[in-house]
Amino acid sequence: MIEFKNVSKVYDNGSVALDDVCLTINDGEFVLICGHSGAGKSTLFKLLTHEVVPDTGTVIVDDFDVTRMKRSKIPKLRRKLGVVFQDFRLLPNKTVSENIAFALEVIEEKPKVIKEKVSHVLELVGLTDKANDLPEDLSGGEQQRVAIARAIVNRPSVLIADEPTGNLDPDTSKGIVDLFKHINNFGTTVIMVTHNMDLVSYLNKRVIRLKDGRVQSDNMRGAEINEA
Amino acid sequence: MKPRTLKYFFKEALKSMKRNGLMTLASISTVALSLFMLGVFLCGVINLNNMASSLENQVQLSIYLKDGLTTDQIMAVGKQIKAIPNLKKLEFVNKEQAMKEFKARLGDQQQLVNALGDVNPLPNSYVLTFDNPSDVKATAKLATTFQGVESTHYGQDIVEELFRITQVIRIGGIVLIAFLAAATLFIISNTIRLTVFARRKEIAIMKYVGATNGFIRWPFLIEGMLLGLVGAIIAVLCVGEFYHFITMEVSESLAFFPLVPMFPFFYDVAIYILVGGIIVGAIGSTISLKQYMKV
Repeated sequence: MIEFKNVSKVYDNGSVALDDVCLTINDGEFVLICGHSGAGKSTLFKLLTHEVVPDTGTVIVDDFDVTRMKRSKIPKLRRKLGVVFQDFRLLPNKTVSENIAFALEVIEEKPKVIKEKVSHVLELVGLTDKANDLPEDLSGGEQQRVAIARAIVNRPSVLIADEPTGNLDPDTSKGIVDLFKHINNFGTTVIMVTHNMDLVSYLNKRVIRLKDGRVQSDNMRGAEINEA
Repeated sequence: MKPRTLKYFFKEALKSMKRNGLMTLASISTVALSLFMLGVFLCGVINLNNMASSLENQVQLSIYLKDGLTTDQIMAVGKQIKAIPNLKKLEFVNKEQAMKEFKARLGDQQQLVNALGDVNPLPNSYVLTFDNPSDVKATAKLATTFQGVESTHYGQDIVEELFRITQVIRIGGIVLIAFLAAATLFIISNTIRLTVFARRKEIAIMKYVGATNGFIRWPFLIEGMLLGLVGAIIAVLCVGEFYHFITMEVSESLAFFPLVPMFPFFYDVAIYILVGGIIVGAIGSTISLKQYMKV
């Protein structure tokens, strides 16, 4: 379970990113976070990964109190989270399977386990036949699938995605969110930051809208929302 | 640490040394050059120290006694002298002995002494050496207060000048070594900074997937230490060759100039350089990691 309790964050330059935000996201939920640029979406994202610490309030991810944890525990927190970005962030000199395996190598997983998990996750994202290609030989959608595979290969309990379809055309975007839905069906909590309202109504899941650092609305059915 | 992990660290370190080939070459050669200078300097300092302390150890304090003292009185002075701390050696030289030594020193011109006839103007004396020769001056002053002591002599000016010079050399050496170490540190930390920069994407991903700080840092630390070690090995070989050449040259043309023989003394120098290289490498990369890799 993820909880934000009265979370506020003001950056050093004085801009208010979040203002007294309270949220609860249950295990296995699929949640979309919307809002214009500067509404606080990215800050919300960074609070979960402990890149940003709030000024006041508490952020809980499962049994971690993110706001009061020791630095040495951060890697443990991050192993519970899978992260996906708008710009994929693949390593250009590594093949598809090496990119995915990298996420396991650096947490000292056994080579045998790495091989099993990588081939399994490649199948899940539908890229088994591209395992030995370099990222530059893939389309944008395929690259994002590799990034998603890398994010979930260690079976995190939460998958968070920051504008994962921002660089993709509408059809490819739908394919990506379908993949998220698929992953969500296995019980993984999915939190996706987006400002694409077509996807919001297509998915028809819980939507939290932020405006000027505050929760403007929290609807259980995305399709019922009209663009404000 | 698992062997597999250690292998991974070394693989990554070597890979990045290869990838930044030119920078690697530049930093290894700067490390080698700095450590070479350091090594040459170390050899020089060790030799000068050796020379200085052998000269220092040759510093003797002569305490001349008045003529006509009884044996008991002479013994009494000896007793007082024995009570002086840090005394290394105490020797009594009687008038006859002193004359014999004086004659020996004159060599061919002994007949000059014969002119004195049976008169021996040389006094009885005690000759002292010290554990710490810088005590000479105070002891000389003290000895003049003893009953039956005529005067003292220890080549005051030469000794004091010698102490001053060895002191300057030692301090200058430390300053120069510190300066070279700082320059080497700067170069290595700069190289590692470039490596960190080249791998910033990988580092970001490693952080996101939950790699520990130690895991992220080790390859860079190893890279820094390898740069230091390889530079140090080159420096050791060059310093060895250099010192060998110098000892050959000097023993041929400047035989009176006693150099410390190359072995076993060079083993120490080699170990200093190697350990120095590794430490400088490790510190250099740590500086970079602290500055450029906030986790």
